[in-house]
Amino acid sequence: MAGNDGRGKKRIKLRSGGSHEGLASFLMLLPAIIFLIVCSIYPFIWIFRYICYNYNGFTATYTGAANFERMLSDKTFWMSVVHTFEYAFYKLLFIIPLALIIAVILHTRIMGSNVFRGVYFMPTVISSSIAGMIFTFIFATKNGILNSVLQSLHIVSSPIPWLTGTNVVMAAVTILAIWGGFGNYMLYFTSGMDSISNDVYESAKIDGANGVQTFFYVTLPMLSPVLKVVLMLAITGAFKDYEAIMVLSDGGPGNRSMVMFLYIYRMIFGSATSTAAVQIGYGALLSVVAAIIVGIVTAIYLFISRKLDDVV
Amino acid sequence: MEGHAVVSTKGKIINTIVWILLLFLAVLTIFPVLYVVFGSFKENAELLVGGSNIFPKKWIIDNYISAWNQANFAVYTKNSIFLALGVMIVSLVNASMAGYVFSRSKFKVKELVYSLFVMFMFINVGSVSLRPMYELAIKLHLNTSLLAVVLISAGGGQATYIFLSRGFVNSIPKELDEAAKIDGCTFFQTFYMVILPLLKPVMGTIALLSFRQGWNEYILPLVFTMTNDAKRPLTVGVNMLKNAGDGTAAWNIMFAGATIAIIPMLVIYCIFSRNFMSGMTSGAVKG
Repeated sequence: MAGNDGRGKKRIKLRSGGSHEGLASFLMLLPAIIFLIVCSIYPFIWIFRYICYNYNGFTATYTGAANFERMLSDKTFWMSVVHTFEYAFYKLLFIIPLALIIAVILHTRIMGSNVFRGVYFMPTVISSSIAGMIFTFIFATKNGILNSVLQSLHIVSSPIPWLTGTNVVMAAVTILAIWGGFGNYMLYFTSGMDSISNDVYESAKIDGANGVQTFFYVTLPMLSPVLKVVLMLAITGAFKDYEAIMVLSDGGPGNRSMVMFLYIYRMIFGSATSTAAVQIGYGALLSVVAAIIVGIVTAIYLFISRKLDDVV
Repeated sequence: MEGHAVVSTKGKIINTIVWILLLFLAVLTIFPVLYVVFGSFKENAELLVGGSNIFPKKWIIDNYISAWNQANFAVYTKNSIFLALGVMIVSLVNASMAGYVFSRSKFKVKELVYSLFVMFMFINVGSVSLRPMYELAIKLHLNTSLLAVVLISAGGGQATYIFLSRGFVNSIPKELDEAAKIDGCTFFQTFYMVILPLLKPVMGTIALLSFRQGWNEYILPLVFTMTNDAKRPLTVGVNMLKNAGDGTAAWNIMFAGATIAIIPMLVIYCIFSRNFMSGMTSGAVKG
């Protein structure tokens, strides 16, 4: 009897413990739920509310398909989409091979590899807005140090208008992106390589493979899952970059370095000097289109990487 | 023997060349930082003339004095510290609790919340989402304090931190929870007295990453302090000087301001670089 009683009590206790757990879980999760609603779900729904409106921050008027028609004929926007692709292409073209090569070299535990790794990663702890600003000083046409160095080495005869020349501004933007990002991708590759077992390298060595062969026949295939994830992060990341560009060139000259998300920012909050041209409804529509573009690019990438899997 | 010797000298030469290239890249990487730090001790006249010297002809600290006194940098620095510490504290409290619940609770709603989390990690509409939050903050009369910026920053970055903390709780043996439960601990007490003390390593990582996030935040405080100079953090304050009409003239103040904005982060990085690096990789690739 006594034992039975004890068991009954225990069961009751556990059950009441269960409902307590539910309430406690809910309360402990509450901040995260509120953040999710306020910072993600609410803005997402809000955007769709204004897609068909002309909204300047004070008054909203329904304009039907006017925003959509405007988008179709908005050359600046479509050029900004092209520039986004151009920027992403250049950034990936340089940053991924560089990060991969550096990661492979440092993996051989060359003298000072930890110090090098620390130095290469350092730019990622600096705010991209401050980095953009530092590079405006470096790229300045008249008194920038880059032109001074290039001229004193007699590489160029007259200063290059890095931030005001339509044909070089994308180079400047790309240089900043590489500087600020390659350490990050290097680190992803490093952690991927750390998970490759040493035995594989040893057997490659026994089979007489040299460094280059080891890279192409051992490291690269073993890294391919990591490489895929990193490439995806890099692609989606490159499409969303605009903070540093905003500070460095602010989309200029003549919208030559205007990327998608910077153009949208202008629509929603105005430019650095004026908020007169705020068109939130139109900006909301462009945001949806931009998100769809990024989504399509990601899907295409996933499709191609899966196809490559079948082939290799 | 001879062949072996040839290979090894050839290997040594290649090694040396590679090492020099690595060193060159390291110099390029560190150069912008050195340039702005040393430049902040130059006279404005020297900065405006330019040239390829990175060391000042004459070392002065007047730039810092005038940045601090005239250009409001004392206030900006205070705001940056508030923002960074605020984001850090909110993220730590939120991520530790949510990570524990996601890992341990049998609470049904958590599944729904979790799938919403994952879903919204992939939906990114960019800066437009700041507009509704800005208008909401005005309605709640939060737009004149940095508290709204702290909360939005912490809320926007929470997914990474929660995944980190959840992964860490997953690696703690469940027997510990059960033992605590038998000893009479409630669900929350188990968290507070048993799990939380064990979370120290991951809490350290989250503290570093969220502090960096708060300190480096730019667009968000820019939007919220558009008309409110007294609440601007360093990132926004320094860049406002650049946009001001006479921006070209105030290079010395901007150099000093940029230095103030990056040095604390660099010092923290020098001390905790390993933790930063391990946190970044576990947050992105494994998360």
